[in-house]
Amino acid sequence: MLEIIAESLLVIITLALIIAGSLAIVIWVRNNTRKLSTLRLFVQIVAVVLIFLGLIIGPFGQEKWEYLGTAPKDIAIGKEIFGRPYPDGLTVPTFSCYYASGRTATCVVWQLQSYLFPDFGTSSVYATTGVERLAIAAGLLIVMSIIFGRFLCGWICPFGLYMDLLTRLRKALKIKHWTLSDRTNEALRQARYLIIAAFLILSVILGMRAIAGVELISETELGRYLEIPFCQVCPAKPLFVLVEGALGFMDVDYMMSQTIGDFALTGWYLTSINIIVLSVVTGGSFMIRRLWCRICPLGGLIAIFSRFGPFKKISLIKLTKVEEKCTKCGICKRVCPPQVTEVYDEKGGDVTVSSCILCFRCVEMCPYEDCLKVEVAGKPIYKSKNWLKEEE
Amino acid sequence: MVVSAGVDMGTQRVKVAIIKDKQVVGKAQEFVGFEPTKAAEKALEEALKSANISREELEHITATGAGVDMATFADSKVSMMGADAKAGVYFFKSARTVIDVGAEDARAVKCDEYGIMQDFIVNARCAAGAGTFIEAMARALEVELEDMGPLSLKAERASPINASCVIFAESDVVSLIHREEPKSEIARAIFDAMAERVASMVKRLGVNPDIVLVGGVAKDEGFVASLKRRLGIELLIPEEPIYAGAIGAALVAAKKAKRARRRAQ
Amino acid sequence: MASEIEKGTKYIPEMSKSEIDDLNKSMKTSSLKVIEDNIEKMKKAWKNRPKAMEYFDEISNLFGKRQEEIKQQKAAGKKVIGYSCIFAPIEMIIAAEAIPVRVGSGWYDSAKLGDRIMPVEVCPVIRSTVGAQMVNLSPFLELSDAIVMPLTCDGRTKLSEMLADHKPIWRMNPPRVKDDPHTLSMWKQEIMVIKEKIEKLTGNKIDRKNLKAAIEKMQQATKAFRRLQDLRKGNPVINGRDAMLVNQTALWDDIERWTQKANELCDELEKRLEQKQYSTYPDTPRVMLTGTPMIWPDSWKVPNLIEESDPQGIVVVDEQCSGDRILYDPVGVDEWTMSDMIDAIGERYLMACTCPCFTSEHGNEDRINWIIDRIKEYKVDGVIYYVVRGCILYAMEYQRIKNVLDAMNIPVYYLDTEYTREDVGQMKTRVEAFLEMLEARMDI
Repeated sequence: MLEIIAESLLVIITLALIIAGSLAIVIWVRNNTRKLSTLRLFVQIVAVVLIFLGLIIGPFGQEKWEYLGTAPKDIAIGKEIFGRPYPDGLTVPTFSCYYASGRTATCVVWQLQSYLFPDFGTSSVYATTGVERLAIAAGLLIVMSIIFGRFLCGWICPFGLYMDLLTRLRKALKIKHWTLSDRTNEALRQARYLIIAAFLILSVILGMRAIAGVELISETELGRYLEIPFCQVCPAKPLFVLVEGALGFMDVDYMMSQTIGDFALTGWYLTSINIIVLSVVTGGSFMIRRLWCRICPLGGLIAIFSRFGPFKKISLIKLTKVEEKCTKCGICKRVCPPQVTEVYDEKGGDVTVSSCILCFRCVEMCPYEDCLKVEVAGKPIYKSKNWLKEEE
Repeated sequence: MVVSAGVDMGTQRVKVAIIKDKQVVGKAQEFVGFEPTKAAEKALEEALKSANISREELEHITATGAGVDMATFADSKVSMMGADAKAGVYFFKSARTVIDVGAEDARAVKCDEYGIMQDFIVNARCAAGAGTFIEAMARALEVELEDMGPLSLKAERASPINASCVIFAESDVVSLIHREEPKSEIARAIFDAMAERVASMVKRLGVNPDIVLVGGVAKDEGFVASLKRRLGIELLIPEEPIYAGAIGAALVAAKKAKRARRRAQ
Repeated sequence: MASEIEKGTKYIPEMSKSEIDDLNKSMKTSSLKVIEDNIEKMKKAWKNRPKAMEYFDEISNLFGKRQEEIKQQKAAGKKVIGYSCIFAPIEMIIAAEAIPVRVGSGWYDSAKLGDRIMPVEVCPVIRSTVGAQMVNLSPFLELSDAIVMPLTCDGRTKLSEMLADHKPIWRMNPPRVKDDPHTLSMWKQEIMVIKEKIEKLTGNKIDRKNLKAAIEKMQQATKAFRRLQDLRKGNPVINGRDAMLVNQTALWDDIERWTQKANELCDELEKRLEQKQYSTYPDTPRVMLTGTPMIWPDSWKVPNLIEESDPQGIVVVDEQCSGDRILYDPVGVDEWTMSDMIDAIGERYLMACTCPCFTSEHGNEDRINWIIDRIKEYKVDGVIYYVVRGCILYAMEYQRIKNVLDAMNIPVYYLDTEYTREDVGQMKTRVEAFLEMLEARMDI
C-alpha cells in the first residue's frame, strides 16, 4: 500500500517538476527567437532521462543476460498486456536503443527486426517471440506515428538531442554550418526507404538461416547478430553503449568480449562498422545540422505512417501556412535544421513533409503574425508572431 | 425619416428636387442667368413650397452639376456621375447604365442595383456630343429647336455631313441647304452625328443593360431615335429626365444626413 | 578617346554657374514652400495633432536640421553613403559607422530640368533625380561620398550612368527571379562586394560585433515601425499623410533617434486609441495606395487630394517602397555567425521585397499576397493604384491586381499621373468620384 502511494507521489512530483521547468522557460526566456528552442532542449533532456530511467531507479548490471531484458522497464510496464506477453519495453519510435541498459522504451527498429522472424531456434536469449509481439510493436509504431508524427524525432529522440548538442557546440564556437544541396537531400530522403526495405528483408532472410533446405549461414552464432542487420550499422547503439560504459552502467569488458569468427563483430554492442558510422555521423552532424535525420530509416517509418496517403489526413500534429501572410522572405528555409524547403515552396495549407522533424524552428523565426501555425487535431497551439514585439 | 434636397447647378438651368422618405415630393427649376447662387436659392424655395415643407425640416442639401461650387448654401456635394447613377436606379430599378447628355457635355456611368457608380466616362471636350450642338444646328437650318426632333423623324435617310467637328458641321449644313437637300434628312444627319459621338463614348465604357437616358436632350425624339439606332438597344427614358441630377443629389443627401446623425453621436 | 568625344560621353551638359545658382535657388525656395504647405495642410486636417509629430515635421525639411547634422558629422570624418533603392544593406552601412541616406528625388520642378537630356516618356523619378543633380539641389545627393544603386529597373540602370559622372556609384545587380538557388548565391556575392567597398571607403572593418549591433538597431527600428503600422489597423488615430511622413523620414533620419521618436509617437497614439480620440471620423472610407513610390515632398499631391476631398478618405496602408514597405521586414538571424548574418541580411533585402521588378514561376505573387493580407487586416474599402507615366513595371501589373481585387469585391482606381502640378484639377474630379463610390458602398 505504502509502496503504491510512494510511487504515485514520485510520479506526481516528477510531472510537477517537468511542468514547472517548462513554465519557467516559457516565462523567463525573453528572446522570442529562442524561447521555443530552449523549451525543446528541456523536453529533450527530460525525455532522455525518462527513456533511461532504469539507470536511475535500478536495478541493473546484474547477471549476464538479465540486464538486457529485465529490470526497470518491467517495473514500469510489467511483462504482460491484456494477458499477452509484452514486448521488451514500451515501443517509442525513437532511437531508444535496445542494447543500452536501463532503458524503459525500446527502439522499434530492433523490435521489428527481431520479431519478424520469430523462430530463434534453440537459443532462448530473449523470451520475446511471437507474431503478437510483432503486431503490438507495429501497432504502437503506427499509433504513435499518427499521434505524434516526427515530433518524436524533434523533441524526444536521444540521438536527436546528441545532434542538437553538437550544433550548439558549433554555434558556441561561432563556426559556420554547411548545407547540402537540394538534390543531395532528396537522395538521402529516398535512401531512407531503401534502408528500411533492406533491413526488413535481410532480417527475414537471415533469420531463416535456411531457404528450401539450403543453409544460408553456417555458424548459428554469426547468424544471431545478422538477424538484426540494422543495429550492426546504427550509430546510436555505440553512442549509448559507450556513454553508459564510460559512466559505469555497463560492463565494458563484456561489450568487447564477443569477438567471433572472421568478422570483427565485437559483441552485440560494439562493432567496427557501428563505430565508423557513428564517427562519420558525429563529424557530419557537427557541420551539417541534423544530418542523420535526413537519412534515418526510423524517421522514414514514422513518415510513412504520418505523411502519406490516408495517414496524412488523420495525423494529429501538422504545420500549416496561410498563403497571404507569407512574403517569401526565406527565413524558414534558412533556419530549418534538416533543410526542408517545402514550408517555403508550398503555397498554403498543410506544409508538413516527411523530412520535417517538427522542431518548429521555422514557426519560431517567422516574423509575420499567424503565417505559420502548429496545429494539433486541427487547433492551432503555436503561431508565428512578430518576434520583435516582446524583446527587451 | 429624412428630408433632403438635391440642387443641380446646370450651365443653363438650376434644378432642385426634394426627397422625403426616398420619394420625390417637390421639384423646381430656374434659369441660371448671371447670378447662379440666387437662382438656386429661388428654386429651392419654390421646390420646398411645392412640397409643403419648411426650410428647417430640411436636413441636408447636396449640390451637383457644373456650377456646384456656386451652391454655397449646400452641405455637401456629389459628382454628376454619382447623382446620375442614383437617379437612374430610382427611375428604373433595372437600370445599370445611365447616359446623361447635357447642354455642354455628355457622360455615361455604370452602376449596380443600389445606384452606386462603378465606372464612368466623360466627354467634356467635343461639343458635337452635347445639347448646344442641336441649338447651333437648329439656327443654321432656321428651324425651331422643338421642331428639330419631329422633323428628323420624317426622314428615311441621313444626308452626308462631315461632322468630324461642329465647326465644320455648320458649314456643311449650309452647303447642304444650298444643294436643296431636304431639311428632314439634314436634321436626321445632325442627330446621327451627335448620337455617334455619344454612342462611341458609351461603348468605350462598356454597355450593361438596362440603359437609362437622362439630361435635357433625352426628351428630344430625334436624338433618342438616332441613339437607339447607333447603340442597337432600347433606351429607358423617365418622365422628367432633366431632374435626374437633382433627384440623384437629393438621394445622396439623404444618405449623408444619416451619416451626419451617426457622427454626431 | 579624343577629348571632344570623351566630353561627349558625359550625360549632363555643362551649365553656367549663374544658371545653376538661379535654378537652385528658385527650386529650393519652391520646394521649401511645398514642404511648408504640406505640413500646414496636415496640421489643419488633424485638429489635435500630437506634439510628437513636430519632430517629424522638423526632419521633413530636407534642407534644414538633418542636412546640417550630416554636414557636421562629415566634417568630423564620417562618411555618407547614399542609396537609390531600399535594397541597399543598411545594416552594413551602420556597422561601418557611415551615414545611410536615400537619394530618390521627389521634386516636380527638377523633372523639367531632366527633360533637357531625356525624353518625357522616361520615368519622372529619374528625370527629377538627374535634374536635381544638374543644379545641386538634393542635399543628400550632394553630401554622399558614394551611392549604392541596385539596378532594379531600366530607369535606375541608366540613372547610375548619369550620376556616375559626379559621384562614385556602387552598382548592385539584383536578380529578376528571386527563387532560383543560384540567384540567391549571386546576390550574396553582390552583398559581399558592397561590404568590401564600404569597408574600404570608411576604413572600418565590419566584424561580427558591430554587425550584430547594427542588426539589432535596425530590428528595434522595425519594431517601432510595425508598432506604428499596427495602430493604423483599427479606427483612425493617425491620418494617412502623417503616417506616411513618419515612415519616409526613416529613410534619411538618424535611425536610433527616429526609433525613439516613433516609439514616443506610438505611446501617444495608443493612449488616444484607448480614449477613442480619433484623428478623423471612423466611418471615413479607408483607402490603400499602391504603385510607384511617392517621394516627399511634391508627391503628396495625391494623398493631399484623398484626404482633403469631399467626401474625405483616409490612407490607412500603402504597398509602396516609400511607405509601409520600408522597414517592415526584419533581418532574421539564426546563428549570429558572420556568414549567417550576411545571409540573413541578403535575404531580407531581396526576398521580402514585393517590387514588380521581380518575377517568378507564378508571377509576382508576393505582391498579390501582401495586398490581399493588408486589405483584410486594415479593412480597406478601396485601392488607388498610382502609376507615374513611364513606370512600365507597375503599369503592367495593374491588370492582374485588378482581377484579384475584383474577385475580392474591392474597388480599384488606376491613377496615372506625372511629375506636374497641372493635372490636379482633373485628378480631383476622378478621385472625388472614387471616394464617393466608396462612401456610397458603405452606406448601403
